[in-house]
Amino acid sequence: MEYVLTANALGKSYRHFQALNNLSMHIPKGAIYGFVGKNGSGKTTLIRLICGLQKPTAGSYTLYGIPNTEKEIQKTRGRIGAVVETPSLYLNMTAEDNLKEQYRILGIPSFQGIPGLLKLVGLENTGKKKARHFSLGMRQRLGIAIALCGSPDFLVLDEPINGLDPQGIIEIRELILKLNKERQITVLISSHILDELSRLATHYGFIDHGHIVKEISAAELENASRKCIRLEVSDIKTFARVAESLKLEYSVLSATHADVFTKITATGLIVPLAQEGCEVISVQEHDESLESYYVKLLGGNQYEQTFTC
Amino acid sequence: MSKLLHANFARLKQDTFFWIGTVFMIVLGILIPVTQYFEMKKYEWYTATLTNGFFIYVVFMAILSAVFCSLFTGTEYSDGTMRNKLITGHSRIDIYLANLIVSAAAVFILCFAYILAYLCSGIPLFGFFPKESLPVILGFMGCSFVLSVAITAICTAVAMLCQTKANTAVICILGIFILIFFGAYTDSQLGMPEYYDTYFMGDDGEASDAAPIPNPGYLRGTKREVFEFIHDFLPGNQVVQLSAMSATHLWKMSLYSALIAVSSTGLGVCLFWREDIK
Repeated sequence: MEYVLTANALGKSYRHFQALNNLSMHIPKGAIYGFVGKNGSGKTTLIRLICGLQKPTAGSYTLYGIPNTEKEIQKTRGRIGAVVETPSLYLNMTAEDNLKEQYRILGIPSFQGIPGLLKLVGLENTGKKKARHFSLGMRQRLGIAIALCGSPDFLVLDEPINGLDPQGIIEIRELILKLNKERQITVLISSHILDELSRLATHYGFIDHGHIVKEISAAELENASRKCIRLEVSDIKTFARVAESLKLEYSVLSATHADVFTKITATGLIVPLAQEGCEVISVQEHDESLESYYVKLLGGNQYEQTFTC
Repeated sequence: MSKLLHANFARLKQDTFFWIGTVFMIVLGILIPVTQYFEMKKYEWYTATLTNGFFIYVVFMAILSAVFCSLFTGTEYSDGTMRNKLITGHSRIDIYLANLIVSAAAVFILCFAYILAYLCSGIPLFGFFPKESLPVILGFMGCSFVLSVAITAICTAVAMLCQTKANTAVICILGIFILIFFGAYTDSQLGMPEYYDTYFMGDDGEASDAAPIPNPGYLRGTKREVFEFIHDFLPGNQVVQLSAMSATHLWKMSLYSALIAVSSTGLGVCLFWREDIK
């Protein structure tokens, strides 16, 4: 598999604080890589390193096969577009002027592509409005437009949907999917909003305490996720007794709800319960979400033990 | 580097403070000779030439340079646009030098705005500089330009290394005022007379000269040499000397300014190279 970015035992420490510790990750070409972790787990630090804003104190990484120690890495970074933390834009300039400035920085002589870029991010009608008067969503979209100026192959987005309204979240999601599908741009996206990330990502990397705990593709996650039947019953004790007698793997969620993980027909479950006088109020098929996978992976054991009988 | 220079000059054209500063220097350049002319008309004993007040711009150049550098370069951090330059693969040296060159050019433009305005309004009122003083005037101007590069280099180093725009502005502006006040203090210390003239009143009621009394505050020996060196070396002291046209060691001062510019840029580049950008 061809990788856009690989990190090998990467480390970064600030005086007495170890932000990244022996981190290894692999971002396949063409992927939307969801980078998941708690606050302070090292997501932004890693992004700063690969964008050249900071230097690693241990280990190495390669961008398109070029090691970070090579001089050529600077040229290779020209293939990256990034929005790190907050969008980087001149607040006293209009959207168009910001893009023109970025074109000059990149040495692109013609501004022909600017109207298309503004249209792509939905900012074509901002006219003479200065960026300081933009909403958060507009700034975020302008930040992405700036990142797209050099037609990058690899887009790095750090928390791009933080603070956006639902409409803004949908727009950014559609934009990322469009860029990935139509322009084959590889995307590294860090986010806390796991539900949103699960709609986008083709691969995931879970980071904790500056270390990648697990890398998994969305397909593998789907396979690994346990499917179950979620039941709402009138008497949870009777349910537990019947489930034990049927040798089912189950988990009690509350006084009325339980998950059954063993594959069983609805009739095979409802009939014995009815015979014992336990009424089944509702039955739903339930998939394990990215969120529950994340909780299980990164300190979710306590959470599970609380609710499992 | 040419791409960064192109981008920075384009940004300079849109920089509000730069235009406010330029208009301020033009207004100052017009007002100073005009007020001097009216003073001359009002008080017959007062004579003014084109040279009087010409080098006042050195003080304003120093202050505006501190303000401009902290705002122009500080914006790169406050708006986060420094990241755009680094991410696109520009080297840190290029980014640093491009900011320094554009800032120095902006300060030159501010100086020339004053000089042109001053000459345009002053020459019709006082005539041109006396021919014999022209080389001295040109020498002072050259020295002031080298000094402007030194001050810009120091302020650029502060702005590139301090990642908070407000802190940069405070350090640069406060710093330049402290340097100028220190320059004025040193100037007054060095300007003290070695002896005080004394007089005594005779029995007949007439005042007569007496032997001069040594001034206890007069700087002598090594202390004087140190003060003289500082007075020629520090940018704030040079500002005071040039604006008052009292400088005597123009070559030495220019050399010191060049040394300050090169060393502060060298140190700034080295530290910026290792800086973790947020």
